[in-house]
Amino acid sequence: MNVRSRFEEFKVSMRPRVKEWKFMFLRIRKNTLALAGLVIILCFAAIGMLAPILAPVPPDSLDAFKIPKDTEINVLTPNPTPPTLRHIFGTTDQQYDLYYACIWGTLTAFRTGLTVVGISLIVGLLIGTLAAYYGGMLDEVLMRFTDIIIAFPGLILAMALVIAFPAKIPINMSMLFVVIFALVSFLLLALGFSKKLLLVIQGLLMLSLLSIFYYPLILDLNLTRLDKVLIAITLVGWPGYTRVIRGEVLRVKNEDYIEASKASGSTDFGTIFKHIWPNTVYPILIVATLDIGSIVLSAAALSFLGIGAEPDYADWGQIIQRSRAWMSRPEQLIGNMHTFLIPGLFITSFVMGWNLLGDALRDVLDPTLRRR
Amino acid sequence: MSLATVVEVKDLKVNFYTYAGVVEALDGVNVSLREGEILGLVGETGSGKSVTSLSVMMLVPPPGRIEGGAIYVQNDSGREDVLLMNDASLRSMRGKDIAMIFQEPRAYLNPVYTVEDQISEVILVHRKPEFLKNALEVLKKKRRGGTVEASNYRRMLRNPRSLGVRFIQKFSSKKTLKNEVRKEVTKVLKSVEIPDPERVCRMYPHELSGGMAQRVLIAMALACNPKVLIADEPTTNLDVTVQAQILTLVRLLKRDFKSSILYITHDLGVVAQLCDRVAVMYAGNVVETADVFEIFGSPFHPYTRALLESIPNPEKGFKSIPGIVPGLINPISGCRFRDRCSYAMEICQKVKPPFLEVKKDHFAACYLYGGSQ
Amino acid sequence: MSYLVQIRNLRKYFPVLGGVLRRSVANVKAVDGVSIDVLKGECFGLVGESGCGKTTLGKTILRLYKPSMGHIFFGVPGDVVNEINALENSNPKSRRLRRLREQYDISTYRGRDLLLLRRKMQIVYQDPTTSLDPRMLVKDIIAEPLVAQGIAKGEEAKKMVLEILNRVGLSDQAMYRFPHEFSGGQRQRVAIARALVSRPDFVILDEPTSAVDVSVRAQLLNLFTDLQKEYGLTYMFISHDLSIVECISHRVAIMYLGKIVEYSLTEEIFKKPLHPYSQALIASVPVPDPTQRKERPPLTGEVPSPVNPPAGCRFHPRCPLAMNICKQKEPQLVDAGNQHYVACFAVNPEKN
Repeated sequence: MNVRSRFEEFKVSMRPRVKEWKFMFLRIRKNTLALAGLVIILCFAAIGMLAPILAPVPPDSLDAFKIPKDTEINVLTPNPTPPTLRHIFGTTDQQYDLYYACIWGTLTAFRTGLTVVGISLIVGLLIGTLAAYYGGMLDEVLMRFTDIIIAFPGLILAMALVIAFPAKIPINMSMLFVVIFALVSFLLLALGFSKKLLLVIQGLLMLSLLSIFYYPLILDLNLTRLDKVLIAITLVGWPGYTRVIRGEVLRVKNEDYIEASKASGSTDFGTIFKHIWPNTVYPILIVATLDIGSIVLSAAALSFLGIGAEPDYADWGQIIQRSRAWMSRPEQLIGNMHTFLIPGLFITSFVMGWNLLGDALRDVLDPTLRRR
Repeated sequence: MSLATVVEVKDLKVNFYTYAGVVEALDGVNVSLREGEILGLVGETGSGKSVTSLSVMMLVPPPGRIEGGAIYVQNDSGREDVLLMNDASLRSMRGKDIAMIFQEPRAYLNPVYTVEDQISEVILVHRKPEFLKNALEVLKKKRRGGTVEASNYRRMLRNPRSLGVRFIQKFSSKKTLKNEVRKEVTKVLKSVEIPDPERVCRMYPHELSGGMAQRVLIAMALACNPKVLIADEPTTNLDVTVQAQILTLVRLLKRDFKSSILYITHDLGVVAQLCDRVAVMYAGNVVETADVFEIFGSPFHPYTRALLESIPNPEKGFKSIPGIVPGLINPISGCRFRDRCSYAMEICQKVKPPFLEVKKDHFAACYLYGGSQ
Repeated sequence: MSYLVQIRNLRKYFPVLGGVLRRSVANVKAVDGVSIDVLKGECFGLVGESGCGKTTLGKTILRLYKPSMGHIFFGVPGDVVNEINALENSNPKSRRLRRLREQYDISTYRGRDLLLLRRKMQIVYQDPTTSLDPRMLVKDIIAEPLVAQGIAKGEEAKKMVLEILNRVGLSDQAMYRFPHEFSGGQRQRVAIARALVSRPDFVILDEPTSAVDVSVRAQLLNLFTDLQKEYGLTYMFISHDLSIVECISHRVAIMYLGKIVEYSLTEEIFKKPLHPYSQALIASVPVPDPTQRKERPPLTGEVPSPVNPPAGCRFHPRCPLAMNICKQKEPQLVDAGNQHYVACFAVNPEKN
C-alpha cells in the first residue's frame, strides 16, 4: 500500500468534510460581524507572533516579559510622558515603555486565555463525560464535587494564592503521583473494566509510594504571580464546562446510534471517542471561545487591583494599574490619558474579537440552521 | 355539482427558496372539498399533501411562498380567496371556520399547560362574547349582577380592545367565565369520547397516551364548531386498534357535526375505510380525483394503479414501483411520473398532462385518457 | 430443522425510581415471562402494539439489556438442547444443568464471550435518521462493527464495506458521504449494511420499514427476503404493521403487555386467530377495500400501564369473553393443534 494511494484515499475521504467546511465558511463570510471578529483575532495573533520583531527585546534583559525602563532621558521624573517618536505609545510612570508592554501583553493575553480555557476544557470534558455516560452513583459523586468547587469565590481564591504561595514551590512529585494513581485506580475499580490497565496503575502507585521514602522526586516550580492567578482561575473555572458537557452527553447518550455502536461491539471508551465526543463538543467550543475573552478580562481586573502580575510584567491590566496614581486631578487625567486608553483599547478589542468569533461559531455550528 | 364546495384549491403553486435551490413543491394543484364529505388526500413523502393543507390555512413556513393560484373558502361572508385575506380575517378563520389536526399530537400540545387551559384558549379566542354573555346570565341569576365582576364582563363585551379593558382582563378574577368555559370544554371532550373528562381536563400532555392526546387535539379543533376539518395524518403514529377508534370517531364527526373533512394519509387501507372521495397526489400535482369506489375499482392514472398494486399481499409478495420520487429542484419537464411509468409516451416528456374529467366526476391527469391536442 | 434461538421464561423489568434516595419503587414489567423458539433460517414475526414489550424483547435477546430473569440459548447444538430440556423436566437443580446453562446461556455472558456473540447477532433499527451517527462517514459507520470486533481494519475493512454496500444496492461513492445526504430508504440500506457486514446468523429487524415511504417499503422488504436466502439469515421481524408481517414471516407471535398470547404459523394465525386480542388486532387493520367497511372499532379502551398490569389474564379488562377465572389466574400457552399455541381460558377450557 504505497504512499500515493493512501494520500488519494485520504483526499477522497475528506471531500464531504471539506464540503461541510466550505459551507461553514460561506456562512461566516456572509456575516460581517463574525468576519470582523475573526479579523481582529487574527491581527492579534499576528502581533503576538511577530512580537520579537515589532518590539525587540533589549539585549540586557533577563526575561522578555519584563518591560524595559527608559533610563536615559528624564531619569529624575517618574511622570508618564505622552507619545513621542522614541516611545511610540508614550511611557507610563517610572518610564516604562507602553508600546513594548502592549505588544508583549498580547502574548500574555493569549497565554492566559488559552491555558485557562484549555485546561478547564480538558478537565471538564473528562469529568462531565464520565458523569453523564455512567450515571448513577458516579454521576452523583462527581457532580457534588463539582458543586463544591463552584462554591469557591474565584477572584478571592486568586488573591489568596498570590499572597500566600511563595514564588518558589518545591513540589513533591512522588506524593502527587501517589495521589493521582490512587484516584485513577479507584476510578477504574468503580467503572469495572480493563483489569490489565488497573494492574499497571497499581504498579506505578507502588513505585511512587516507594520513591517517597527512598528517592523523593522534588520539582522546584518557579511561579510568577501571573501563573498563580492562572492556576486559581483554572481551579474554579472548570465546573462550568463540566455542566454543559454533561448536559450534552446526556442528550446524545440515548440516541439510537450509540446503542447501535454498542451492538456492534464497541467498548465504552470506543463509543465515547467515536460517537459521543464528535457530536457534543461543538456547543462547548462556542462557550470556550466566549470564555477566553472573559478570562482575559478577569485577569486584567486582578492585575488592576494589584494582585495580578508583578509590577513590571508585560500585561495590559498591569499597565493600567500603574496609571491609577496619575488620574486624581482633571488636568493630570487629560495629560496622561494615553497610559490607560491605549492598553484599554487593546483589552476591549481583544475581548470583543473573541465574543464576535464565539457568536459567529454559534451561528455557523447550529445544526438546525445549517441545511435550510 | 349539487353539493357546494367548501374549500376549493385552484391551480396552487408553492415554491420553497432554500440554499440548495428553488423547490417547486406544488405545481398547479386542484383540490375541491365538498360539503359534508370526507376527502382523502393520498400521496407519499414529497408529494405536497401537507403543503397543500398548510396553504389552505396560510401556514406555509418560510422559506416557502405561495406563488400563484387561488384558494376559495366558504365562510360567513360568502366565497373568499384565502390568499387575498388580511391578517385579521385569517386569524378569525383559523380555528373557527377551518381547523387542523396534526400527526404527532403531543408535539402540538404545549407541555406546560393543562388540557383545559389549552382548549379554553381556543374557545376564548373565537367565542369570547358568547361566553361573556353566558357568564353575565349566570351572575344575574345568582343576583350578583351588580358586582365588580359583572361590570368587568360588561366592559369587556363593550370595548374589548381598549387598554383599560385589557388590563382588567389580566388582573381581575374571572371565575364565572372560567366555569362556563370549563363546562364547554368538558362537553367537547365528551363529544370525542374521552372517558372521565373532568379528570382529563386537569392532566398535562405528557400524561396522556397517544390515542388520548389525539382525541384532545381533535377536541381542540372542534371547540369552535368549524365547518372544515383538515387532518394531516392523525393516525400514522398510533397503534392499529387506537387508529380504528379514531377512524370511528372521525366518521361520527361527519355524521353528527356535519363537518367536511380533508383527511391526509398515505395508508390506502384508511382511505378505503373512511373516505368518500379520494385525491391522489404525486410530486406536487394531483394526478387523480374520484369517488372512493371508483379509485379502488377502476383506477385510471398509472401511479394510482401502481400504488394499489404495491399493497402487500400474502400471495403475491411485495411489488414496488421502480425508481425513486423525482427531486423537486429543477423538476423534469412534462409529466413528473414519466420515468417510472410503464405507459410513458413521447408527449409525456414534453408537456405536463392537463387535469381532465375523464369519466363523470372522475378526474385524471394522464395522456392515456386524452388531453394531448 | 434446528432452533437458533431458544428463550425460556425471559423477564426484563425496568425499575421506576422514586423518593428522595431514588430507590426502586416499582418495576415496569416490559417483558414478563416469554418462552419461544426461533428456527434457523426462518423469519419470525413479533407483533403487538406500543407498550407490549416487543422492542424490549428483541433488544434483550441481543443483550443490549441484561435480562432480569430467564435464559436465552443461542446456537446450541441439537443434542445439548434435548439434554437441557430433559434435565429441566427431571432434575432442575442438577449441577450439570447449571454448568450447561453457564456455557450456553447468553444471558450471563460478559466480556469476550459477549463480544464474540455480537458478531453473530445484529439489529436494524426503526429510524434510520437517528440510528446512524450524523457526523460519521458511511464508510466508517459500516466498518465500525469490523473494527470493534477485531475482524478487519484499514484496507481489508474497506473491501468488505464495498462488498456489502453493493449488495444492498448502493453505489461505491456512497462510502464517502454523510448520512444526511441520503434519502430515508437509502439510509436504511446503510443500516442494513452495517448489520450484515460481520456476517451474523441472527438479525433483529425492529420495525425497519415504519419510518420509510410506502413505495420504498416494498423495495426494502424484497431486499430482506433476498438477503435472507443468500446469506442464510434468521430474522426476528418486529412490527405493528400486520399486513407486512403477514407477507414476510413464516411464523408469527402476538404480544400483549409483556406476554405472548398466541403464536403459530403465519397462515394459521391470520386465517384463524383464536385469542380475542389477536382477533381484535387483525380486525382493526384497515382493509384497502371500500366495500368492506366496519362500523364499530373492534377493540375499545387503552392498553394498561405495564407498571401495574391487571391481575390474572392481562387482557381481561378489555376482553369480550372474560370470565371469572380470567381475573384470578394467568393462562399459559397451550397447544391448540396444528402448531398453534394460545394462552386463553376461553379457547382451551378443557386444557386449563
